[in-house]
Amino acid sequence: MQSVRRFLLSSPLLLLLLLLGASIQSTALAATAPPSIAKKSIIQVNPEANRLRQAVRSGKLAPTVRVLDSLPPTTIIQFPLVPSGIKNAFPQATGLVTMIRGDRNNAIADTIIVDVQHMPPNITFTIFFIELANKPFGNVEYVADLTTRNDGSGETIFQAIAFVAFAMDARHPGTSQDGQEGTTSGTNLEHLGMWFSSLKDAQAALQDNTLKGTIFDGGNPPLHAGPQAMTDGQIAPVF
Amino acid sequence: MVFQHLFKRRGIQVAVLLLCLFLSACTSSTTPPTTSNNSTPSGGSPVQAKPPTIRVPAFSSGEQIAPTVKVLASVDPTVIVQFPLFPASIKSLFPDASALVTVIQGNPQTNDFDTVIVDVQKMPPNQKFTVFFTELSARPFGHAEYVGDLITREDGSGESIFHLIAFVAFAADARQSTVTSQDQSGSASGIQLEHVGLWFDGIAAARQVLHDPGLAGTPFDGGGGVLHAGPQALTDGQTLPVI
Repeated sequence: MQSVRRFLLSSPLLLLLLLLGASIQSTALAATAPPSIAKKSIIQVNPEANRLRQAVRSGKLAPTVRVLDSLPPTTIIQFPLVPSGIKNAFPQATGLVTMIRGDRNNAIADTIIVDVQHMPPNITFTIFFIELANKPFGNVEYVADLTTRNDGSGETIFQAIAFVAFAMDARHPGTSQDGQEGTTSGTNLEHLGMWFSSLKDAQAALQDNTLKGTIFDGGNPPLHAGPQAMTDGQIAPVF
Repeated sequence: MVFQHLFKRRGIQVAVLLLCLFLSACTSSTTPPTTSNNSTPSGGSPVQAKPPTIRVPAFSSGEQIAPTVKVLASVDPTVIVQFPLFPASIKSLFPDASALVTVIQGNPQTNDFDTVIVDVQKMPPNQKFTVFFTELSARPFGHAEYVGDLITREDGSGESIFHLIAFVAFAADARQSTVTSQDQSGSASGIQLEHVGLWFDGIAAARQVLHDPGLAGTPFDGGGGVLHAGPQALTDGQTLPVI
């Protein structure tokens, strides 16, 4: 009888302790766990992504371009780079370009990410937006560099105008057809390539002393850059 | 009876004490450990680091630079230059419009790109402007590169930051590889783009803001519609290069 009474007296306290313990444990778990998504995000139609997909289907954008399923108003595309000047010495070299635009009407710049693998190691490459993917390349715009690591991988991220990049001489800007926008001022730059920033590096990496200098790097002296290393390789625009 | 009562009360006190200890243990286990301000990551004595030396880097060995360019004293190997922009087409309506451009190069030998910051004040409010690197600061501007946009706020202020090649920006047609021009580093391939300007990104907006329906469109914006941009709003106004 006494033991039953003792149990009845102490049980609320035990219950309280158990409840408190459980509550504290769940609070601690919630603090350390990643925030859970309360509701599944509603799939929204992205008109800009649909427009670009249609451009790929109709051949206005290259077939290598992937338009990602992003939420409006963002636009995200990806396309590969393939080896050109380094094809024989580095046949496994690959590159992936990701371009992100926040809002077509209000973005102040696009974000461009270039990832490469199996490239010549410890070399600086220049990145250009170009009129044509292959020789003679046409009008060009120097946008960034990428320096590979010891294992031939590398990455660079920069912010510039990409989706509507163009070259012009304002004295006679002319017009051209943009893959996405129609007729525009200037000459549209809708391809991307990578070049050896130094002819000497290229000659050493490719073991070819007959290589000639190119214009594909800024600064002194003229024609100190090497040949194209990677290209999107497409005739139709990639962005 | 008294003992029994005391025992009960003591039992409750012990339970409360245990509860406090339990709560204290739980609280301390979820609190991240704090570190002393004086300790170092390795646990040794604090390092009394000397402040790095500041120097004014050499900027431009190959050509003269505009007198408005200020090369900041900075820690090696960074190069930071600043220069103002002045109102162009907006001068009569927005005479107090001003802008400051800051261009930062982390390490001239290894940087992947430069950082360009454009800050504007007292500009036409709620307007979008395009930012270009140009061959010439005034008409006919010559070769141009579209680098970004800037949207002003209600009070006419605005800011944009870009990461791209600025100090050695150039325009070129690779079919004419023999074309060269003078850069800060000497002779270089292509046509150097060493000026900065802002343009109205829409001719309709420019006509409205400047109360001039006769304004002609310009090519200073990308995308559909030929000559759909407006006139130059801000210029570095220099004959000599600013970048």
